[in-house]
Amino acid sequence: MTDRPYTVLVGGKAGDGVKKVVQVMAAVFHKRGWHTFQMDDYQSLIKGGHNFSIVSASPEKICNNRHKADLIICFDKKSYDLHREELNPGGCLFYDKHDGDLSGTGIELTRMMKDSYAVPSNVSIGALAIFFAHLGLSEDDLLETIRLSYKRNLEENLSYARKVFPLVTPGESIVDLKTTPLNSILLSGNQAIALGAWAAGLDMYFGYPMTPASSILHYYAAQSQKLGVKAVHAESELAAVNMAIGAIVGGARAAVGSSGGGLALMQEAFSMAGIVEAPLLCFLSSRPGPATGVSTYTAQEDLMFALHQGHGEFSRIVATPDSYERAFSLSAELLCLAWEFQIPAILLTEKHLSECITDLALPLDQIREAVPSLGKDTQDYDRYALTPDGVSPMLFPPSDATIKWNSHEHLPSGLRTDKAADIITMKDKRALKQPGIEEATKRHIRVNTYGSGDKLIFSYGSTTLELREALKLLPPEYKLVSLVYLEPFPSDELAQYRGREAVIVEHSRELPFAAFLREKADIVCLSGISKYDGRSFDPDDLANRIEEAFHD
Amino acid sequence: MIDLNTGKENSWCPGCGNFGILNSIKAAITDLVEKGTPKANIAITCGIGCHGKIFDYLKLSGIYGLHGRALATATGIKLANPELTVISFGGDGDSLGEGLEHTLFAAKRNMDITLILHNNGNYGLTTGQFSPLSPLGYRGLSAPGGNIERPFSPISLLLEAGATFAARSYTTNPRHLREVLVAAIEHRGFSFVEVLQPCISYNNTYQYYNERVRIMESTPTDIYEAMRLSRMDNPVWLGTFLQKSDPCYHEQLAGVATPVKDRMDQEQRLQLLKEMF
Repeated sequence: MTDRPYTVLVGGKAGDGVKKVVQVMAAVFHKRGWHTFQMDDYQSLIKGGHNFSIVSASPEKICNNRHKADLIICFDKKSYDLHREELNPGGCLFYDKHDGDLSGTGIELTRMMKDSYAVPSNVSIGALAIFFAHLGLSEDDLLETIRLSYKRNLEENLSYARKVFPLVTPGESIVDLKTTPLNSILLSGNQAIALGAWAAGLDMYFGYPMTPASSILHYYAAQSQKLGVKAVHAESELAAVNMAIGAIVGGARAAVGSSGGGLALMQEAFSMAGIVEAPLLCFLSSRPGPATGVSTYTAQEDLMFALHQGHGEFSRIVATPDSYERAFSLSAELLCLAWEFQIPAILLTEKHLSECITDLALPLDQIREAVPSLGKDTQDYDRYALTPDGVSPMLFPPSDATIKWNSHEHLPSGLRTDKAADIITMKDKRALKQPGIEEATKRHIRVNTYGSGDKLIFSYGSTTLELREALKLLPPEYKLVSLVYLEPFPSDELAQYRGREAVIVEHSRELPFAAFLREKADIVCLSGISKYDGRSFDPDDLANRIEEAFHD
Repeated sequence: MIDLNTGKENSWCPGCGNFGILNSIKAAITDLVEKGTPKANIAITCGIGCHGKIFDYLKLSGIYGLHGRALATATGIKLANPELTVISFGGDGDSLGEGLEHTLFAAKRNMDITLILHNNGNYGLTTGQFSPLSPLGYRGLSAPGGNIERPFSPISLLLEAGATFAARSYTTNPRHLREVLVAAIEHRGFSFVEVLQPCISYNNTYQYYNERVRIMESTPTDIYEAMRLSRMDNPVWLGTFLQKSDPCYHEQLAGVATPVKDRMDQEQRLQLLKEMF
């Protein structure tokens, strides 16, 4: 039993079932009372290449996976060459003897697979058998897990597993697995985001596939019968976002999502949401850019893009989850705020949070319902009625009232206008919302802090996950300040740090978050720790870099 | 006639074909209301251009959206509440240029929406540039030497994409236009109505069409005949080219039937989450 999380890495080709088998391993840990965090590293291809997945597991809550592993299983020579240096002291590496005699423990994975299957075969069952045997779990448990997790080729899978299992001797009391499961569930960030908005009342989701946001669309589509939610795969991002605004006009709570490239296409309609006053929720899951960039990796290059989404002047909310529980609750919060003020809102996240999977208890007690303030169904109804707080009551068809939404500048009735005085009236009317929006965000957690030391570290989004895991390795002399709400900016909460020096950590080359903090809160960047290779931070490396940053 | 006036001052050019469309849609909606469609259940969308101004002249609910996106917003409205009758107005630049993808996909999905295409053969509001339906040689500010792009044949294009109703009418024949609009709106599925709409300022086609239009005596026997007739330039046939019954997208999309009515309340949602996990 080690005091660091126990980490398993499985590497192979795309199509080998790497991600799935590590998911099954995570579920095995979770079922036995351990917290887990799984990260999948894959390329934009369907077969071949190199994929690996890592799961870290611990009896304590875990915020991020480690990169060095205690158990490494390689399906091919490429995986072996890439990952053999990543073994922790005392760890074990298993490889396919088919690749030759290498250091580590060779198992005839390919040969036994050929003996067990006609076609198609599943080498990842071999990895599962190694995992069960190495951890000292029983063969019965292994076979039962395969029955539950793999629906196809059951008899062949069981036959293969029975051949591999006896070849591996249990490691010495490696992990102390309990038998009581945790009161939590395993979800990806995108699933938590999707469920959060739904819990607050989302009726419809419109999307166009773009990694790493696609799995939001997939999840709603898969769950649409159970949740009642409509998932529409539109012809383009332009279509998706205009459809969503149409759905809002029709009276539905609607959201859209994409990565940076897709949000770029949605910008014109994002502006339309500003002028027609549509409560449009957008999920933006970042990957390295610009343009196509790197499809399947993580980045935080879209901070300024999210904050400045759309052309023209109008209010919006931009916020970013720094934990999986927050991903769920923030998604719900943003739908509520969007509807309260009839403005667009962006939930900004990254591939790392979107696609990693961890265990969490859904904070259901934090969920409120997104409800519009409704107007009276009368002939004199005005869609854009002037009110003290700038929020005009809504109505939806069918209605005896004429409800006119307009992307042109308009009169309170929604009819178009070009008159100078009318333009000022309506721009001022929309601007009246801003103080209310700022007040309303104060109901929610806008800034999280972790630790209470003197040395300040700032971050946002999934970088906070990496930092929290890194801080476990450091003495308690640090304080991590993690921003959740970026717009409206929580100036009041950050006033206490004005003029202070801090280390700022982010996944971008140009350190826009550091510049943003300097501009908005006068926080001085003592040193910026940036990582812009698409990969997440290894908490061990990050801990070292933090120490160096403060000692320099 | 139902009073559908908004009181908004009209800014189309005197003699614009759009007046014919405005009068005929008012008459058609009167007919539909008399036949049992509540006015309150009608929602309209439009894009940007001369056609879009019709939004301001019709006392009906809906959204005056972005250039090219009228069918996307219409799709959203229809999916949110399939009980609504959704009518979308588009120009030839709007629906077949900027928004071509949405037009083709609305037809492909057989969305239960009516698209009324104001075909004036140019971009009127932006001062007469050539459009996707301008003939070869059409001269405009962006094509001073004459249009070098071959125009679409909109009815055969939409039939190929999957429209289950396609018709053509002409602004100078209000009785025909009114009948076609009623039939299109009553049709269950995607309806496409190409309205020949002379642009008095940049593309005055009154004489051209007056000499050529003829009303078909019956609906063509099949889609190929419909396409052949719709592509003829003399005579220019008016009438219904095709009408058939196919399942609509909203009837087949998983999830609740009418999102705005069948939605689970907060308590049900939280309860379901507790049960799921």
